[in-house]
Amino acid sequence: MQVLRLDGVSKTYPNGTVAVQDANLEVGEGELISFVGPSGCGKSTIFQMVAGLSKQTAGEIEILGGSTGQARRDNAISFVFQEATLMPWASVRDNVALPLKLRKLPRKQQEEEAERVLELVGLKDHAKSLPRQLSGGMRMRVSIARSLIAKPRILLMDEPFGALDEITRQTLQEELLSIWQRSKGMTVLFVTHNAFEAVYLSNRILVMTPRPGRISREIEVDVPYPRGEQFRSSAEFSRFVGLVNESLKH
Amino acid sequence: MNHSLRRLLYRVGPPLAAFVLFVGIWEAAVRIAELPTYLLPKPSDIVKSALDNWSRLLGSVSTTLVETILGFLFSVVGGVLGAILLASSKIIERSIYPYAIVLQTIPIVAVAPIIVIWFGAGVRSIVIVAFLIGFCPMLSNTLIGLNSTDKNLKNLFILYNATKWQTMWRLRIPAALPYIVGGLKISCSLCVIGAIVGEYVAGVGGGQGGLGYAITYAAMRIQTPYLFACGLAASVLGIAFYQIVNFLSRKWLGSWHESEMRGENE
Repeated sequence: MQVLRLDGVSKTYPNGTVAVQDANLEVGEGELISFVGPSGCGKSTIFQMVAGLSKQTAGEIEILGGSTGQARRDNAISFVFQEATLMPWASVRDNVALPLKLRKLPRKQQEEEAERVLELVGLKDHAKSLPRQLSGGMRMRVSIARSLIAKPRILLMDEPFGALDEITRQTLQEELLSIWQRSKGMTVLFVTHNAFEAVYLSNRILVMTPRPGRISREIEVDVPYPRGEQFRSSAEFSRFVGLVNESLKH
Repeated sequence: MNHSLRRLLYRVGPPLAAFVLFVGIWEAAVRIAELPTYLLPKPSDIVKSALDNWSRLLGSVSTTLVETILGFLFSVVGGVLGAILLASSKIIERSIYPYAIVLQTIPIVAVAPIIVIWFGAGVRSIVIVAFLIGFCPMLSNTLIGLNSTDKNLKNLFILYNATKWQTMWRLRIPAALPYIVGGLKISCSLCVIGAIVGEYVAGVGGGQGGLGYAITYAAMRIQTPYLFACGLAASVLGIAFYQIVNFLSRKWLGSWHESEMRGENE
């Protein structure tokens, strides 16, 4: 089932900069797609347009058969940014429950769902902690838990692990894969500039190049899940990374 | 000597010693120079006059205290609510804020007599003067706080379809708390000043009048030791008020804001 469709999508700024040129894409349910490219290739712009934070200047975006605004209103899509963006005055539990609180769900349900997602990211014991008491990796986990609480059909992640050290990064990548696999058909769109990350996580990689920003190549990573440490050190992994890097140089 | 006692002495000892030294030198210098009491009283004169007029002094202090508290409460409620109103709409802010600035720059001593003419001598005018002086910093600081919300958090609330009121109540106001507390610290001291200035102009407000009135009266009769005693009482009042606000600041911000957090390095 198709969950996202981009049809000739372009974004040109008033000053003439072409951020995205003629992007065409179809995403099926349950896929984990990565957008890889250097700064300025338009990957974050596509993300913003899919999220409904900015409007395309040409082309059509269809999410779950409807508009981006509709998907947001239905809480079908959720977001994780590079910054954890937590409310510093609120506990982990209150931060995680925010989407439900804004939807005015009953308190008991908020607490139950908060506990569920905190369990998913391994932070059940920190429900009452404040953000300042957590490490960067833990804060990112809280942000991810928050994005999962409304059980979204599509999860948009814009360089979520970019600010973390390599070890924490790999740990979170594995946790993300685990959460994704256990979810019932959640689709993930992942933006990164790290080719290794893209190959490890995705079943399909969209390589983007800048000036003008376009999707230059689609690479299918037909390696079955679950993927463990051995995949990272395999020859196949290196081959895919090589493919990505080659396409980036184009 | 146990650790916390030692730490207390370490903190309190030096300033206490400086104080005792200062008072000692003052007392000695005045005695030696044989300065007249009406010009510069000795610390012992001040203490004697305070003790002799203890109930009168206490009465004045409590009157000023009540006026200050009333003026402060009104200025906090008025300032915060006013700021929320201004922050909720750019048009309203642009129309009204310039006048708030004008209000802030008008010297209170110039306005006080007009207030008395309009509202009569007495407590009502004094509370209004205290309110006016404390209102502007509260409005200003709260407004800056409400407009300084982190952009990423604002986007997050947009993405989660929050209504304008939800964004104000659950994001902008909590985020503005450090700024509000900053305003409280400024306002509380100003309200003490406002009450005393109001008393200078409005005279006796119910009962026996506050510290401002007592100071005016003592100055008229060249009762300089009592004048000093009233001035010191006013300072103590201001300090006590500030400490209460400080306590609230630690309570509300201590767990999450840099301004009040005590790190492991201390």
